[in-house]
Amino acid sequence: MDAPRRPWIHRVVNRLTRPLWNMLQRVKKPFLPGGRLHRLYPLYEAIETFLFQPPLTTPRSGGVHIRAGNDLKRLMITVVIALIPPTLFGIWNIGHQFYVAQGQWVGLTEGFLPKVLKGLEVFLPMLIVSYAVGGTIEVLFAIIRRHPVSEGFLVTGLLIPLIMPPTIPLWILAIATAFAVIFGKEIFGGTGMNVVNTALLARAFVFFAYPTVISGDAVWVVPPVDGFTKATPLAAAVISGADALSGREYAPYGFSDLFWGWIPGSIGETCKPAILLGALLLLATGVASWRIMLGMLLGGAFMAWLFNIVGGTPLMQVPWTYHLVMGGFLFGLVYMATDPVTAATTNPGKWIYGFLAGAFAMIIRVVNPAYPEGVMLAILLMNVTAPLIDYLVLRFYVRRRLTYG
Amino acid sequence: MEWLNIVIRTTFLENMVLAYFLGMCSYLAISRQISAAFGLGLAVIFVETLTVPLNWVLKKYFLDPGALAWLHPAFAQVDVSFLTFLVYIATIASAVQLVEMVVERFFPALYNALGIFLPLITVNCAILGASLFMNERDYTFGESVAFGFGAGLGFFLAIVLLASIRYKIRYSHVVAPLRGLGIAFILTALLGIAFLSFAGIQL
Repeated sequence: MDAPRRPWIHRVVNRLTRPLWNMLQRVKKPFLPGGRLHRLYPLYEAIETFLFQPPLTTPRSGGVHIRAGNDLKRLMITVVIALIPPTLFGIWNIGHQFYVAQGQWVGLTEGFLPKVLKGLEVFLPMLIVSYAVGGTIEVLFAIIRRHPVSEGFLVTGLLIPLIMPPTIPLWILAIATAFAVIFGKEIFGGTGMNVVNTALLARAFVFFAYPTVISGDAVWVVPPVDGFTKATPLAAAVISGADALSGREYAPYGFSDLFWGWIPGSIGETCKPAILLGALLLLATGVASWRIMLGMLLGGAFMAWLFNIVGGTPLMQVPWTYHLVMGGFLFGLVYMATDPVTAATTNPGKWIYGFLAGAFAMIIRVVNPAYPEGVMLAILLMNVTAPLIDYLVLRFYVRRRLTYG
Repeated sequence: MEWLNIVIRTTFLENMVLAYFLGMCSYLAISRQISAAFGLGLAVIFVETLTVPLNWVLKKYFLDPGALAWLHPAFAQVDVSFLTFLVYIATIASAVQLVEMVVERFFPALYNALGIFLPLITVNCAILGASLFMNERDYTFGESVAFGFGAGLGFFLAIVLLASIRYKIRYSHVVAPLRGLGIAFILTALLGIAFLSFAGIQL
């Protein structure tokens, strides 16, 4: 059978990247079995398969009926691409909050360049620390345990700074990353074997070990002066409920502000359109499960609506539509809950998992005064519950088969 | 309503295993198999719901200082509270004996899966712990029933969750020195972090 003629773009890219490929092949020899640097083969392999198609493919003559150009590496890179919009917005927003706090360039379109530069000044070190620490650990484990380095950490390493406040000390970020990568992932065998979402574990670690750097009113904006505080919409709503959001005390936290995201908060979580853009890509490529996303949205909306009816504390009175755009709910829903490794894997299980994650997020946020941000903990809780959900769903399937023959 | 609060609190907030780290031995040993974990969890629920109220009755009418006054006014000065541990353990041991006989008669497969750990529930600290917490906290009878049930439910939830996670990671490439018990301890810690989400809730 003739190989189908490849589209012209393939040929152009092929021609352009040929020298790089040749170079890689030239230096490959010492890394192969018997070579001097064979122990470092995972490192070589990581670079080669990051740039080019992995050499291991199912042969066409192998009788395989389903073929897709997808594999673990492309799956993970898709998530990284989907994370770009919230990242870019987050960088701008760091600078925006910084200058607004000074009373300078309050308008959204003013001072674009200084704001971005300020944002980069804060965000890039965080990203570098997270990638350097996590990447080093990952590569060390890969070399010692001889498993391939995968792009999984590109996702985790980008997610970790995105769910931290911009003022977090870099050494805490480094410790949290190291803890999460070692105890959350590598000791279980690396990518695809972890039980809880690695990035969330890093955040939970900071949350419980160093609560002062990740909660309260002083950490969400890079302070122009010492002791500067500004509450997030969520923290404001804990005190005064919907009043805070209608713009009396903490102007301007209206619905559109929460939606468009020029508000203080964790770096990546604020801008909902950017997150939805990422969600669109994840759904279109089938990387994330729409069942989990929809289930979590329904669970969160239902629970918040239920609290609206009860309406005891200020936070219970916040309309459910606000709850969906406040805090990290949407970010967690799109990028965290849908992590295919830690989520439930059966289809009914995904619905249950998503729904409960949304419901628990609202319960923890509203009922637990200590943690207004419940999304992280709700998803962690569902991560550890997912295997049980899957088990029960499978048991149910087996029993149904036995009954109906 | 107060009883429901106690059940929820002891199940989630003050989970015997994940908040107090009691009952570790059977928790770690039996969580290798989901069905056995279900069985042991149910047995613990039963034993705790039975023994905590029973011990409450014994405490009220036997162990408390002056509790024996209902026998004869002369006993009002008698204080046998030094027997507390002995009496509680005796109650628990007999309840476990009961469970063991029932399980052996009706669920032989489960009986074999649990092995030595079924009689060892007697010395499971989660169960003695529940009775001692009841002793400390001055519950009423109804509350002690709710507390016993909640404590058992918490243990059930924790062990079933751990068993299902261990089932999920059975093909994971776990670091060699940590295979088995080591990774179970780390999973317990991760479960504990996840359950921390309820800490601080006021009911």
